[in-house]
Amino acid sequence: MNMDTLLALLTVFTQPQLLVLVGIGTFAGIYIGAIPGLSVTMAVSILISFTFSWDVYPAISLMVGIYMGGVYGGSRTAILLNIPGAPSAIATAMDGYPMAQKGEAGQAIGVTTVMSFFGGLIGILVLAIAAPFVSDFALTFQPRDYMLLAVLGILLVGSLSSGSLVKGIFAGAFGIAIGTVGRDPLTFTERFTFDLQIMEGGISFIAVMIGMFGVSEALLQLQNVTMKAVRQKIDKIVPSFGTIKKYLPLSLQTSTIGVIIGALPGTGGDIAALMAYDHAKRVTKNPKVPFGKGAMEGLVAPETANNAAVGGAFIPMMTLGIPGDAVTAIMIGALFIHGLNPGPMLMVDQPDMFWFIVGALLTANVFMLLFGLTGIRIFTKIVEMPRSIIIPMILLLSIVGAYAVNNSITDVYWMLGFGVFGYFMRHYGYPLGPVILGVILSRLLDDNWRRAIISERGDIGRFFEGVITSPLSLTLFVAVLMIFISQTPLWATVKKRLFRKAES
Amino acid sequence: MDTDFRGDRDHHDGTSDATPGGYPQKRRPGELGFAAFLSGASLFLLYSAYGISGLESLSAPGAVPMATTLVMAVTALLITLRTAQQQRVTSETLAKDILPGTVVMFIGFLTVFGVLLQPLGFVLTAALFLLVSIKVLARKSWVYTIGVTIASLVVIWLIFRVVFTVLLPAGILPEAEFIQLFRNLVSGAA
Repeated sequence: MNMDTLLALLTVFTQPQLLVLVGIGTFAGIYIGAIPGLSVTMAVSILISFTFSWDVYPAISLMVGIYMGGVYGGSRTAILLNIPGAPSAIATAMDGYPMAQKGEAGQAIGVTTVMSFFGGLIGILVLAIAAPFVSDFALTFQPRDYMLLAVLGILLVGSLSSGSLVKGIFAGAFGIAIGTVGRDPLTFTERFTFDLQIMEGGISFIAVMIGMFGVSEALLQLQNVTMKAVRQKIDKIVPSFGTIKKYLPLSLQTSTIGVIIGALPGTGGDIAALMAYDHAKRVTKNPKVPFGKGAMEGLVAPETANNAAVGGAFIPMMTLGIPGDAVTAIMIGALFIHGLNPGPMLMVDQPDMFWFIVGALLTANVFMLLFGLTGIRIFTKIVEMPRSIIIPMILLLSIVGAYAVNNSITDVYWMLGFGVFGYFMRHYGYPLGPVILGVILSRLLDDNWRRAIISERGDIGRFFEGVITSPLSLTLFVAVLMIFISQTPLWATVKKRLFRKAES
Repeated sequence: MDTDFRGDRDHHDGTSDATPGGYPQKRRPGELGFAAFLSGASLFLLYSAYGISGLESLSAPGAVPMATTLVMAVTALLITLRTAQQQRVTSETLAKDILPGTVVMFIGFLTVFGVLLQPLGFVLTAALFLLVSIKVLARKSWVYTIGVTIASLVVIWLIFRVVFTVLLPAGILPEAEFIQLFRNLVSGAA
């Protein structure tokens, strides 16, 4: 590591303003993640528009803090109220709430906090070590590889975030289509503008994001305004060194799961946490308390994994420009707005930016540990804030957020339209993640497809020849095919046979 | 529980974050209509995408739009077919579970908010919106509602104008003059 890298890494510490912003972000993130109904995706998408006029460093500092704090914050309500504040905390509730019922809420929160810190640390370390290599490797990517990677990312989000892949594919394609609206940047041809002047500039992706994640969520919450919270007694919080040492081997394994799952394009903390929980259940032979009844292992596994996934998710985002999940898709949007272009060239042109983000993540992780082990009593008060006030506030913030970027009422109506549309999508089981990924990746996909096909002189046969002869393209292509095959009846029969063999 | 199903089990428990609801094997009220609407809209968009550059070449500006809208149309039709074969959830109705009065009312509020934002200005529109929506949701006394509205409005306004310096429509309220007056007071006192 040379001197410049180290200096970039320490930028956060040399500028008190940035340090404070990361701190505020992490603190706010913990509460946003914890309050059911407020989500990190919602917060970051609304924040993009508010930090629009800021410099890039302060804006990123705040958002990184919120992301890190938010992933952790969900666990608090999972333990105290049996309501995961964020999807990545679903597995945490399974053993955390039973512990709280037995009066061990403080201990559960303590272990969760320390383990989240540990997982987060491993994720960031892997990011720092792996990203430069991935980025070097990515420089050899052909346009078709980018195209395939983008398709793979959207498909993965579609297939893993919900039961129905067909709905996921529809959502992804819909997102890409939204991204193509307006004048084509290469030929200036109008696409989906219907000869309306307001359509020529395209649809603001921030309006889409805020609508999908802010308004639709708030509308959904209107249906359970009168939810009551249950109070828990809080005992000792800071866990003993012995406890931590005992779970260190398991947490190393689950952190690894977290980083890998996080780094795969399209999969994020929620899936990592569920897989880690599953892993813990398999490897823990004789848990002191059975799983589901308050096993400590059931807390350690998902919490290390979901925080490790944060660092992991930044790897494809920073090196390839392909987001790992909905939150990183929105982070990419934030970088776009500040004139940055995530991808392999970012590491070449602006390595400082990368190391600054690593530094900010590290700082946020430390703040998370600090805030996590303190202030629980005030915390329970804030989380009990009535929804009849929270929901109107979210809606108000959404409107102002959509308006603020371009000072345009049209964006507000787009946001409302997508909000209502997203509301129905949620009700009928269509995942929203692929829509956002599609919108963000639309440009990359369109550009690279056209570049790839032009370089083959418009010959689709030669294009496929290129795919088959390059090991990387072939791997990606097979992966895309596999996702489709896994949804056909053929795969179900094959899987059944395989599993029967494994069992016998 | 179906392992493939990650939606909310008992009606939107507040955990959803791009995690869809719905039932894996049954269709909810209006689900078929929604799928049919998506199919129709996708086919229309496909037609519109064809109009961009036709089948001219694979690298034409219309190529990706055509491919994506084709995927949309095919998947939407597939979803419609599958949904049509499923049984309806008998315990739910459209008016109670999918689109209850409160939700319709709030969509209305938000639309009115958009209409009034520029002529009335942010402060008045937001005050009106908060007042009405908190009254509707909390069902508490006017004193409570007005108190909460003013408190939250002050917090939001301070955050926007001071921390984020977001420009909001001033409308009929002399907001700039007020800020200036405030500044004068502060500098006068100092």
